[in-house]
Amino acid sequence: MDAKDILGLPKTPFSSSQEKKSRPPKEPQRKPDGVSREVYALTGGVGMAPLMPTIEASHLKRRPAAEKEKVAWQWLPFKSSARTDNLQLYHWVSVVNGIQPTGDYQFAKYNKDWSKEETDQLFELCERFDLRFIVIADRFPTARSVEDLKSRYYSASQTLLIHRARSFEDVSGNPLVKDTYDAAHETERKRALSALLSQTKQQERKDAETLADAKRIMESRAASKNVDEAVMPPSSDNAMVPVDGVSPSSSTHPSLAHPNTTANTLIPNSLRTLRVYLRTHALDQMVQAVGASAGLRVIKRVDQTLQELGVNLKPKVPTKAVCIEHIELRNELLTLLNLQKQLQTKEAEVSANRESSFTEAPSTPKRSKRDIDRPFIHDTIGFTGERAGKRDHKRKTTGRFIDAPPSPPQSKRPRKLKGSD
Amino acid sequence: MYGGDEVSAIVIDVGSYSCKAGYAGDDTPKAVFPSVVGSIEQTEDTDDPKPDKEADSASDSKNGAKPMDVDKAKTKHKLYVGQELDFRRDHMEVISPMKDGTVTDWDIVDNIWNHAFRRRLLINPEEHPMLIAEPSTNTAQQREKAAELMFENYKVPALFLAKNAVLTSFASGRATSLVVDSGGGSTVVSAVHDGFVLQKSVATSPVGGEFLTDCMMKSLESKGVVIRPRYSFKKKEISPGEYKIVDLDLPNTTESYRLYCMRAIASDIKESVCRVPDTAFDEVAYANVPTTSYELPDGQTIEVGADRFKVPDILFNPSLSQTIPGIDGFADSTSVRGIQRMVIDSINKCDVDIRKELFSNILLSGGSSSILQLKERLEKEVLEESPQAARVKVMASGNSVERRFSVWIGGSILASLGSFQQMWFSKAEYEEHGVSYIQRKCP
Repeated sequence: MDAKDILGLPKTPFSSSQEKKSRPPKEPQRKPDGVSREVYALTGGVGMAPLMPTIEASHLKRRPAAEKEKVAWQWLPFKSSARTDNLQLYHWVSVVNGIQPTGDYQFAKYNKDWSKEETDQLFELCERFDLRFIVIADRFPTARSVEDLKSRYYSASQTLLIHRARSFEDVSGNPLVKDTYDAAHETERKRALSALLSQTKQQERKDAETLADAKRIMESRAASKNVDEAVMPPSSDNAMVPVDGVSPSSSTHPSLAHPNTTANTLIPNSLRTLRVYLRTHALDQMVQAVGASAGLRVIKRVDQTLQELGVNLKPKVPTKAVCIEHIELRNELLTLLNLQKQLQTKEAEVSANRESSFTEAPSTPKRSKRDIDRPFIHDTIGFTGERAGKRDHKRKTTGRFIDAPPSPPQSKRPRKLKGSD
Repeated sequence: MYGGDEVSAIVIDVGSYSCKAGYAGDDTPKAVFPSVVGSIEQTEDTDDPKPDKEADSASDSKNGAKPMDVDKAKTKHKLYVGQELDFRRDHMEVISPMKDGTVTDWDIVDNIWNHAFRRRLLINPEEHPMLIAEPSTNTAQQREKAAELMFENYKVPALFLAKNAVLTSFASGRATSLVVDSGGGSTVVSAVHDGFVLQKSVATSPVGGEFLTDCMMKSLESKGVVIRPRYSFKKKEISPGEYKIVDLDLPNTTESYRLYCMRAIASDIKESVCRVPDTAFDEVAYANVPTTSYELPDGQTIEVGADRFKVPDILFNPSLSQTIPGIDGFADSTSVRGIQRMVIDSINKCDVDIRKELFSNILLSGGSSSILQLKERLEKEVLEESPQAARVKVMASGNSVERRFSVWIGGSILASLGSFQQMWFSKAEYEEHGVSYIQRKCP
């Protein structure tokens, strides 16, 4: 069965005549003899590409005729100008059409020492061309870089000057002695300059285009996020839960109360334009923004609470995560304080109402209505999943008290009307 | 005025197309004439040219070259220089002393100098220091030959050899610049730094004015236009005001002379109608461009269309010339580059520190640089591939005469400077140190 599968043969015995015909064309797909069936199946079996590229015999025959130039290789002697002796070594040299390559040993330039003749030539050229090193380098018989020539000239002149002077102090003021030529620095500087100059206008344009494209993509991404968040209504003016210190300033801010963009929301608008800013500076601004809606006394109380809890007013290690948590903590404290204040006021009202006559019935349906309203507003304000949960918890506890205050005014009005009657 | 000193030096510039000679201190050369000569071979035994023998030995490959059994050294040639060439003579061959921008026949150059000094300027060379303009790629051997010729034959009191690029640079008041010299025989781009040519940066291209003229001529011929050389026809008046063209049969006119005359006409067509296109030439785009009419000397009017733009674009794209039937390929077609490529390559071969200065000081000179819109197009092309940090500026003097003679004008300025007078290579120095001393004296 398996063998037939591997061979790709039909399973029915009646197609035996077809087998013989189909087998020869299928022959190449058979597993190789040296490999066991299971192993071959592991390797992917029939559908494998050959490991070696096939070399067609026609290629092998064609290529030798295509050569136009006769390149022979000869074992020839060579000398390096970098050496002071006349050592003659041998190496393989490609001889094209019978012409031997001329010129210095190609690796000599990496080991170039300065011979007396070369130095003399250099000084002669320096005098002829008035130390115009670029022109001297152009006319110098052997290929040497401008830095190499300068370095040789200045070091030689310096040595000569020092040795010819009667004492070192005489020449120590001479600029040749005071400053030494730094060939490495010059080479590096020229390399950097050539890198700067090799950026052509086409490349500049391409870079600018790529940057513009990237910017567009970023903006389109931000815009799509904006669309998602614009569905939710802007945060209420209810001072109960100022979610984001920044949100009062821009209700259509794209990163409004989205769980994933908490990090981004906490960057104040003023700092958005800067690429680099101190986190402590940002933190101060955010704290100020958070406390903007609240009064000075409230801010003080938040600080007080922080101290009671044992938290530093300014985080010791202001990393991004720490700052986020700190801001959230402050927000929570604000919320807590606000709720506590409202709780107190409601309790005061309740106690005031208890002294007066009690007519709660008409207010009951209104209470249920208010119950429905509350969750909706709360959901919009919650800014992390777990925070929303906590807030719900708060809501349940304070809901009863919230309902109480509106009712006395409601009951008061009928009383007033009655009074007028 | 500018530190000048009148020593009545002579400035002579022998180019591949024309020779310019005049007094230093002048603003244009007094003598301008073609630097080709007409040569009629004369055998030793007789002065009169023998038609058969001359026709055989002096014939071009058109008739099939017959083996020369006459030794060249023995045959005398009568040479006709300058305006003498304008007159058609039987069996007169037109020969140029230059090939690829360098002198190959010093005998002809000697004749040209002689004609310039004695027939045109009417001076005695023994009384005037000579400033000779030489190509930027001149070899030491060529310089020594020139010096030898000057001192031995003309017995000049003093000599100086200055490179063309340096003189052009001085003519525009700059010590450092990139000189793009588009002359008759070739286009040479060389960087000049502090008054010295940086030899490693020199780039040459065989595409010059003469080549463009040939392209124009062959292109017109392929379109069926027959250019009649001036000598080959006569206008006969058949009725008052009406003329008929009568072809003259002059079988002894050499092929080279015929070509020379035809080239003169084609050259005039090129100079009148050609313009460099704003972008690279495209056959399809320019297929329906409006034509310009031009009247040939024999009266027929031709319409020149796309060729107006195609021929000058060959400077920027030499391979365009291969689309014109009859134009041979270049000897080394891979190395022939467009002019903008040569400029960029040349600057990149120089030291990094001077590249910015070279980019902002690109000078145009030479006869072919007077083609309309060449400056703008070259600036645009170089701007494309130049570094963003460098400012590209191509400069050409507004006056086309100045562009053509900028090498000569630079020589005129240099030879008349007071501070230059101690730089001459004098006859005494030549006699004391020998001709090779010129390498030291003339950098």
